[in-house]
Amino acid sequence: MHTLKRSKLAIFIGLFPALVIYLGIAIVPIGISFYYSLMDWNGIGSKSFVGFDNYVRMFQDDTFWLSVKNNLLIMVTGLIGQLPLGLVMALLLNKALKGSGFFRTVGFMPVVISSVMVSLIWGMMYNTEYGMLNNLLKFVGLESWQQNWLGDPKWSILSISAAYIWQNVGLYMVMLLAALQNISEEVNEAAELDGATGLRRTWFITLPMIRTTLMVTIVYSISNSFRVFDLIQVLTGGGPAHQTEVMTIHMYNSAFVNLDYGYGSAVSIMILLFSLVVITIANRLGKEKA
Amino acid sequence: MKQKSPVFKLFAYIFLGLFALMNLVPIFWMIINSFKSEQEYAAHPFAMPTGIHLSNYTKAWDIANMDTYFINSFLITFISLIVTVFLGSLAAFFLSRFEFKLRGFTYALFLLGMLVPIHATLIPIFLIMQKLSLIDTYMSLILPYTAFHLSLTVFILEGFMRGFPKDMEESGIMDGAGIFRIFWSIILPLTRPAMATVVILNFIYNWNEYLFALVLVTSNNLKTLPLGLSNFVGLETANYTLQMAALTIAFIPIIIFYLLLQKQLVTGMTAGAVKG
Repeated sequence: MHTLKRSKLAIFIGLFPALVIYLGIAIVPIGISFYYSLMDWNGIGSKSFVGFDNYVRMFQDDTFWLSVKNNLLIMVTGLIGQLPLGLVMALLLNKALKGSGFFRTVGFMPVVISSVMVSLIWGMMYNTEYGMLNNLLKFVGLESWQQNWLGDPKWSILSISAAYIWQNVGLYMVMLLAALQNISEEVNEAAELDGATGLRRTWFITLPMIRTTLMVTIVYSISNSFRVFDLIQVLTGGGPAHQTEVMTIHMYNSAFVNLDYGYGSAVSIMILLFSLVVITIANRLGKEKA
Repeated sequence: MKQKSPVFKLFAYIFLGLFALMNLVPIFWMIINSFKSEQEYAAHPFAMPTGIHLSNYTKAWDIANMDTYFINSFLITFISLIVTVFLGSLAAFFLSRFEFKLRGFTYALFLLGMLVPIHATLIPIFLIMQKLSLIDTYMSLILPYTAFHLSLTVFILEGFMRGFPKDMEESGIMDGAGIFRIFWSIILPLTRPAMATVVILNFIYNWNEYLFALVLVTSNNLKTLPLGLSNFVGLETANYTLQMAALTIAFIPIIIFYLLLQKQLVTGMTAGAVKG
């Protein structure tokens, strides 16, 4: 590395363009967001400094708290739905059964297609009159189970969760599968000699071996759940009556629909804080365990 | 590996089969019904189509402006990808092969981007683009796509280049090649495997992106595929089979891409997730 020491100008030229674009568009705007969050501004007229009024308004806004609640709901259902299912799939695929390649391909497919496509497909499945779900219920004679999946506040956020889980299980499946395949054959042989087989081996030997990856998937699943936007925007836009709003949608609606840029920025700063807090806690926990 | 008991196998296959069905049924349902007329669908949503009606496809292609969306997505995806990978590999080269005072700091700065949710920057980016009169241009999407994917790109490439032996550049220096020459003809060719991962990741993320496009593009002529599709479906709410045809058109290229590059895509996206 030391061979190329005298080259300050070259280093500068090499890093400068990437840094300018990256800092200018991904980092500096965070500061600007915070600055806007202290302003009352509709984007056209003049800005007026209002201190932390937007934050006070936000904390008194039921819609904001509803969006936080929905975020937590998606986080919890995501954790419950994606990880155990992904883990079981990974454990089964790791058994080298015939056709496991096919199941892996199919399992990962939803991860590759865009969330917009996932939402549109699920939107059609959920459609009250013509959707697959209600048609299927009618087909098997369970008409009384038919629901307005996205329009009924009782079901809407759960319906979204289901689509969200469907979209992401495959990712956790392959993450965990990769970890399982890294366990050396010797460990399994040793376990077998000790008489550990089946579920016991899975629980006491396999799972502890992939603990780090399990932690990573948990953290990733949590931090991902705070970034959901496309799926809800396309499926319901946050409706009916804010029932499916999450923080990102709340931010989008405040800023780009109601043109309340100051308030929207305050929400966006909260999204950032939530993400950072979650990641910090996760890192702490990860370090303690390791 | 020892033999598994038949009971275990049976349960394993039932579980795997159900999971596969869950993933495939919505897709099959979409494709099959895209060949039906509206009336046929309403009457028999689960039957096979009576014939292959391609009218939905020609109609969707025409009224949904699919060709425009495809071209826009294609151009924006590839220009962003090329800029990101070029700038990212250049930055990774200097970060991994040189020693200078702010090296650690600059590297950490690049990694920081992986923690930032794009939503926290959306409003300022919109207002900046507005001020620069870039709203409704390719540029308005190329810039954020590049900026937000530089972190992961630099991270993956830096890690790879760091692994090369120290005297890799020696031969180039002996030949009197300049620094950029060494980058271009010695380091870059060796980085190909990591480059493949990075290219595929950038491609899939850019191709599927929705939020920036939603905020930064309003003109129909500049919409990308995800944005155009969601608008089209919003307008044609009553024509299900037409929607399904449009979705199938958008679905086919990405699924071919997936099947062809499955291995790289799976490892790439897993790595991207673990590090992101």
